[in-house]
Amino acid sequence: MSTVPTLARSYEALRPKVLQRLLELRTTLDPSLGRLDDATARSQIGAVLDHLGNFLATGDRGLHRAFLHTFLAMRAAEAQSPASVLAMLVAIGDTAAQVSQDEGAGTPESAELTLLLTRVTASTARAVNDLIAEELARRVGQHGELAGRSREAKR
Amino acid sequence: MTQPGAMRVAGDSHVGKVRTTNEDALIVEPRMGLYAVLDGMGGASAGDVAAQLARDTIRDFVLHRRLTLAPRALVEAAIVAGSTAVFTAAQHHRERQGMGTTVVACLVVDPTHVVIGHVGDSRAYLLRGGRLQTLTRDHTVVEELVDRGLLAPEEAERHPYKNVLSRNLGARADARVDTLELELRPDDRLLLCSDGLYGYASAEAIQYLLGSGDAPEHVARDLIELALRGGGGDNVSTIVLEAPSAAPSSTQVVRTSGALAWWQHRQRFLQVADDGGLTRSPIVRGLPPHEALELVALSLCQAIYHDLEKSTGVNVWTFAQNLAAGWFERGGEWRAVRGIVDILGTAAQAVVDDIRAAAPELGFLLDVAVSRALIVVELALGGLLAERLRQVDADVIELHTAQLATLEHTTQESPALGERVSERFIDRPTIPFLRPDRPVTGSGESAEVMNAIGKALTIARGRLSPRAELVAQVFLALETVAGDSGGNFAAAVVSARELYGARSVDNAGVMPLFDAFDKARILVASSVQQLRVLPPVRARVLRALSTAHQRLVGATTGLVLEVVNPFTERLRDAQAVTSELRDAVAKAERQRADLERRFATIVDPSLPWGARGTTEW
Repeated sequence: MSTVPTLARSYEALRPKVLQRLLELRTTLDPSLGRLDDATARSQIGAVLDHLGNFLATGDRGLHRAFLHTFLAMRAAEAQSPASVLAMLVAIGDTAAQVSQDEGAGTPESAELTLLLTRVTASTARAVNDLIAEELARRVGQHGELAGRSREAKR
Repeated sequence: MTQPGAMRVAGDSHVGKVRTTNEDALIVEPRMGLYAVLDGMGGASAGDVAAQLARDTIRDFVLHRRLTLAPRALVEAAIVAGSTAVFTAAQHHRERQGMGTTVVACLVVDPTHVVIGHVGDSRAYLLRGGRLQTLTRDHTVVEELVDRGLLAPEEAERHPYKNVLSRNLGARADARVDTLELELRPDDRLLLCSDGLYGYASAEAIQYLLGSGDAPEHVARDLIELALRGGGGDNVSTIVLEAPSAAPSSTQVVRTSGALAWWQHRQRFLQVADDGGLTRSPIVRGLPPHEALELVALSLCQAIYHDLEKSTGVNVWTFAQNLAAGWFERGGEWRAVRGIVDILGTAAQAVVDDIRAAAPELGFLLDVAVSRALIVVELALGGLLAERLRQVDADVIELHTAQLATLEHTTQESPALGERVSERFIDRPTIPFLRPDRPVTGSGESAEVMNAIGKALTIARGRLSPRAELVAQVFLALETVAGDSGGNFAAAVVSARELYGARSVDNAGVMPLFDAFDKARILVASSVQQLRVLPPVRARVLRALSTAHQRLVGATTGLVLEVVNPFTERLRDAQAVTSELRDAVAKAERQRADLERRFATIVDPSLPWGARGTTEW
């Protein structure tokens, strides 16, 4: 039987502590988190932690990718670079894994959750890079097209 | 490598940034379990003589008497012997009269039991559970006055004699030594240091470094660096002692057994990478298969090994950066990088699975550590991709802005062209990652939800002051974006452009708009709560309106960024020109000064140049 539902429940129980730890450490974890005011930081981190819980429970990669896409878009609209968004997501995932390790006191279940959270962070980082690469390809295409038009207009 | 159960110790000393001689001395004798910091004082190089003499005497005393005296008595007697030796030497050499030294010494009886003795203001600290505490009390005149109740503690800090010692080795033939015995707990850390450390570094910074988890040799050195950065006005010496852990930490296990096990499986790593098609990757095209495997797979395998051994990610980061940067410079595509990284990830997982099958606990720790290494790979790649995106994005915005300017110019002659300008903008939003093809409310959204959106906005309008026109306009925009069931990001961009209008990028122009967005968000959210609808409908309405709000803010921010960009470029150009002008002015000033100097010499050749001073020139 899959242990994922059990681990998702363990994560839900741990989530308030993860949020608390992230809010305490946000300045040292990632500069972009440190720059946010408390309410904004709580809402941004909370959104990621909520989604993390959904992803752990469902394993739905499509939903995961859609969430990351929206998250990247909204942060980009706030002039945050994709690299710093990536660093922020990794910092959140790492902290969740760390809290799981610290709180679990070496029980097999907490060990499994720590590993699962680390793998999810790796998968998040992978998906974010794929999204950045897609956006880059789109922008390179736009650049070519616009440059072509400029040349045409000059003629 | 440290054996489990052993105490780890390291010491270091530095002359500092001001003094020319180091009058501190150290005892680091693991075989005897004796460690001490001494800080000498006295003119004409007598300070270092006193510290070295006391050091040698204390060491020899402990060496010869450790089997005949109890630990506490041994420490006390050894320090008194040191004082006698310094006092006697000072009596025999006139130029050394008045020399003396402080000492703080630690005798490790066993890894859980130590004795500390001290005279003067060299200190011992204990770090336990992340908290730093001072174990010794400075023997200064001021501290003695505080002890006797003759001076308040707050006055002591400002007292002119706060650094004057009341006790030292060498002032008298015997010395009054303070000693204490301490039971150590696992992972406790002790620090012995001279005043050159705590006089130039805060207790918080010392606590931070001592608790960093780095090896004692690194901490001892880092503490000295800290004091040097704080001014380094005195000699500085540190000794760091670490009590053994109750059990090796997971990090230590990975560093030792994990790294070794990983390296022993490198052939398996190469085999799986080969089977996965690494040698056929376009990134290694033209290389013989064994070279490709060595260059890519073995390099990553080695990088992971070194990072596991040192608990860092720097080698893996460098590997990933080199691999991708070289490929991108050659015009390579992302797909190839993704392909090769996935192959390497599969190979790493295969190795971890093998180790887990043979040694589950070690394999588990490696699984986590190797997953983290793969995250480091992604972080390195993300940095490169984001930088390339930033460059391309800047170019696109520049080209697009130039085109808009050209088209705006021609619009005056042909209005039809103006229509195309906005169409093009909508087609090409300047915020990365935003797509114009995702509706806020799905096409299948029920009439009930659409109706409720309208009602929520009506409630919000009813609660609005008549003067808040801008918020009312935001409501209208929200209605357009959220109510467009076949809608997309284009609706948000159009609405944002209407709201933005002819605003300038300053507080007066833009900030009221963003304030209005905020007010609108709060009013809309509370209005949705007042809707008399079923909870699922309310949730959908809230989701639609908040998504619409996010898009509107996003699109407006995009407009601001677009508007700001040309100014940023101009500012950069202006700064460059200013810098050139400043250089030219400085050059002209130098030439003028030179001419005046020559002129003055011609007018009055008898006047020595230096006597005229320089400030007036």
